[in-house]
Amino acid sequence: MPGMIGPDEARRVADAALSLPDADGVEVLFMHEWGGLTRFASSSIHQSTHREDTGVSVRVIKENRIGVASTNDFTIEGARRAADHALEMANVVAPDALFPGLAPQAEVPGVDLYDEATASATPAFRADGVADLVAQCPEGFTAAGAFETIASEVAVANTEGQFCWSPSTMASINTVVSGGEGGHGFAEVFESATSDVDPVAIGKRAASKAVDSQSPRDIEAGRYPVVLEPAAVSTLVGFLAWIGFGGRSLAEGRSCFSGKEGQRVAAGDVSIYDDARARGTLGLPFDFEGVPRSRVDLIKDGTFLGGVYDLRTAKQAGVRTTGHALPPPNPEGPFPLNLFMEPGEASVEEMIARTERGLLVTRFHYTNVVHPIESTITGMTRDGTFLIENGEIAHPVKNLRFTQSIVEALTRTEMIGRDTELASEFFFSASRVPALKVASFNFSGRSDH
Amino acid sequence: MLDVAKQAVEAAMAAGADYADGRIVAEDTESLTVRNQEMEGIDRATSEGLGIRVLVNGYWGFAATARREPEEIDRAARLAVEIATAASRLPMKPVRLAEVEPATGTWHSPMQEDPFNVPLEEKVSLLMEATRRMQSVQGLAFAEGGIDLFRRRTVLATSEGTAIDQTTVQSGAGIEATATAEGELQRRSFPNSFRGHISAAGWEHIQRLGLIEEAERTATEAVELLSAKDCPSEVTTLVIDSGQVELQIHESIGHPVELDRVLGMEEAYAGSSFVKPDDRGKLRYASPLVSITADATLSGGLGSFGWDDEGVPAQRMPIIEDGVFQNFISSRETASVLGLPSSGAMRADGWAHYPLIRMTNISIEPREGSLADILGDTKDGVFMSTNTSWSIDDHRVNFQFGCEIAWRIKDGKLTEMYRNPNYTGITTEFWGSCDAVGGREEWTVWGTPNCGKGQPGQVARVGHGASPARFRNVQLGVRG
Repeated sequence: MPGMIGPDEARRVADAALSLPDADGVEVLFMHEWGGLTRFASSSIHQSTHREDTGVSVRVIKENRIGVASTNDFTIEGARRAADHALEMANVVAPDALFPGLAPQAEVPGVDLYDEATASATPAFRADGVADLVAQCPEGFTAAGAFETIASEVAVANTEGQFCWSPSTMASINTVVSGGEGGHGFAEVFESATSDVDPVAIGKRAASKAVDSQSPRDIEAGRYPVVLEPAAVSTLVGFLAWIGFGGRSLAEGRSCFSGKEGQRVAAGDVSIYDDARARGTLGLPFDFEGVPRSRVDLIKDGTFLGGVYDLRTAKQAGVRTTGHALPPPNPEGPFPLNLFMEPGEASVEEMIARTERGLLVTRFHYTNVVHPIESTITGMTRDGTFLIENGEIAHPVKNLRFTQSIVEALTRTEMIGRDTELASEFFFSASRVPALKVASFNFSGRSDH
Repeated sequence: MLDVAKQAVEAAMAAGADYADGRIVAEDTESLTVRNQEMEGIDRATSEGLGIRVLVNGYWGFAATARREPEEIDRAARLAVEIATAASRLPMKPVRLAEVEPATGTWHSPMQEDPFNVPLEEKVSLLMEATRRMQSVQGLAFAEGGIDLFRRRTVLATSEGTAIDQTTVQSGAGIEATATAEGELQRRSFPNSFRGHISAAGWEHIQRLGLIEEAERTATEAVELLSAKDCPSEVTTLVIDSGQVELQIHESIGHPVELDRVLGMEEAYAGSSFVKPDDRGKLRYASPLVSITADATLSGGLGSFGWDDEGVPAQRMPIIEDGVFQNFISSRETASVLGLPSSGAMRADGWAHYPLIRMTNISIEPREGSLADILGDTKDGVFMSTNTSWSIDDHRVNFQFGCEIAWRIKDGKLTEMYRNPNYTGITTEFWGSCDAVGGREEWTVWGTPNCGKGQPGQVARVGHGASPARFRNVQLGVRG
């Protein structure tokens, strides 16, 4: 099995690029990832894989002209070649008037997210976990999903003397249990260590939903009060990361929050922040230009406070970097990758009990942007959607399409869950979010299952 | 490279595999982005590694490594066997593979001028001029241009004797104009959205696109959209341009006919399909005007090759004939379930990923007439162009797609411009309402370089030939 390369070796190879002559500045981003994923469908392991790769990305600055070259050849020669290519490109482009310089030397507090047992988890270990999950399926139901154990290390080094390195691991399981009379149930978990991942619990949760969602009935499209489980809430929050919180789009008037600093954009008890170093997320403590990540309060008590920035967009906006740079080159600008929504005090059961007629949604699927400035998105429900009547689950319903403004939904949030989950979104990184009860949510169409 | 692939196969067989394939992939990319005549990004990347896939007692295993030392190749091969052995923890019917003749040979995508050899200055200059012309339009906020180049060399060796060496070179470019106003943002792209038009061709493809010539029109439309009315919410006749037909095919035909999806193998991620194994030759998928073909031999298609990643030769096959569903796209494993030969659609995203059933070039067969003819034949309706948004359910039934721009069609002529147009429908009802498909003169082979699938996620580069088309009784203008 491969293992950690470590900071010393990362620095040794990075130095080969940093020593490039004829450059005003050089930055090296090093990434190493190794691990396996055991994928299953129809309760059998059908695609099981392992991969290891390294990446060395070199950004060269010469008279504020910038070029970037990357390779997966993690050798002295590979790093030097990438540096030469990056310089070659820098030589043909015009200077970037907004180039802010490379990240200065700074201490980066560490995070303890590396677990050796996870990094060295074997195919047999994952297969046993999948078997335990599958065993939770009742007769007539099967499970599909993936159990992944992955380790990574990231380092950034530059000619300003900054060097930071951080290892981490992740163990994740996601599953859809299906069967019976058209039942589907979903569950997932993300942790940094396999010891915190319980395949049995995940299997039971998904199986229970699958059993309960059998024989879904037709329901008319329209506006309904909804109880959104964390997996559905992560869709709303994940899309705000893209269309709302990025510093570049904010500064350029392309964000749904442009010009709204200090204004109410959500219900008074809605607070969203980004904090890569907080417990409860799997974050890198520095960004991809080597700046230590800061906690950023994005929405506080319903009021929009501001976005996230890297060095360049901070200069553009006249603010300080928050440590949210993505790997260069990055024309899109910075985005938050470790979002949290503050929990409230309600349980999902209480939310259901306070709903006269509405819908309980497990998660959304294949969501996309309809209007970025209005924060309107569209997607489908999936894997467990239920009608609530008179404070109780009445029966499962067939999947519905929603077309809804995220800001409107947050403004009409009535209850916030007290328990949070690290929940994924199809296209974006996972957010730690609670369940929500929203007074009115627009379902614009329906499907046949 | 072939020697290394063969070494991996031999090591895997020595470790107990019943079947093995070793695939070495070397990739180069180059990407340039200019915005408002400033360089936003210029980068090159290379990646090379080996993926080894094995069958052990009917169970799959796969291991990939970027390490190149011989002992590492052997270790990765043994790991693949270990992974396959672990998979037997959950008994299942052993995988069987449809037969294929071992293949040897080489293949290269067609190319006149290697785009990687074109001087960077020339590429930058093209984008600078295009953005300069866009910026000459008053009221435009952002003028962006991008060039993307891609080269992938794949060497495949299998334990059955296949030994092939293939290279594809792909070139793409596009421009995007963004206009903003209070509470509104409008965008126009040319020749297509999301980084433009990409083809399996050389620099000559980018030179033919006309980015500079179309720059001012593109920017002007973006500004005009700011003051246009929102597309009304109504049920009416919809005409969509070739680029939007591409997206319509991709999401509502290409994906649902992937046989692994039909057999439940993608259930946990992107879902399954409304199409069932018994639907072949029976399911009325579309109107009789609609015929869809999967063709991995199509010149210029991103989904073209000599052999797929199992060594199955590229082929052309009907998917839908005169509206009736005919064939799935498949792999050796899935085709075997139906007792068929593989359709040669197994493709992996580079060396680090396991091959999956992916679209090749899924195209609508052209019929007759130009876009002008179709519009001229339409009494009342809406014409939409250039995709901005796509969403479809996990069985590929209910969809909603958005475009950049639309116009009212009144008595055969385009009249009022609309902004924020979108439409929604049910796949077979929508395709069933198709009553006009443009001719060869309007047919373009578009490239989709970012099709996502699988766990871990991977991206495929696929192609679609499409002409404009007309559909009746479509719900437009879905609002939040």
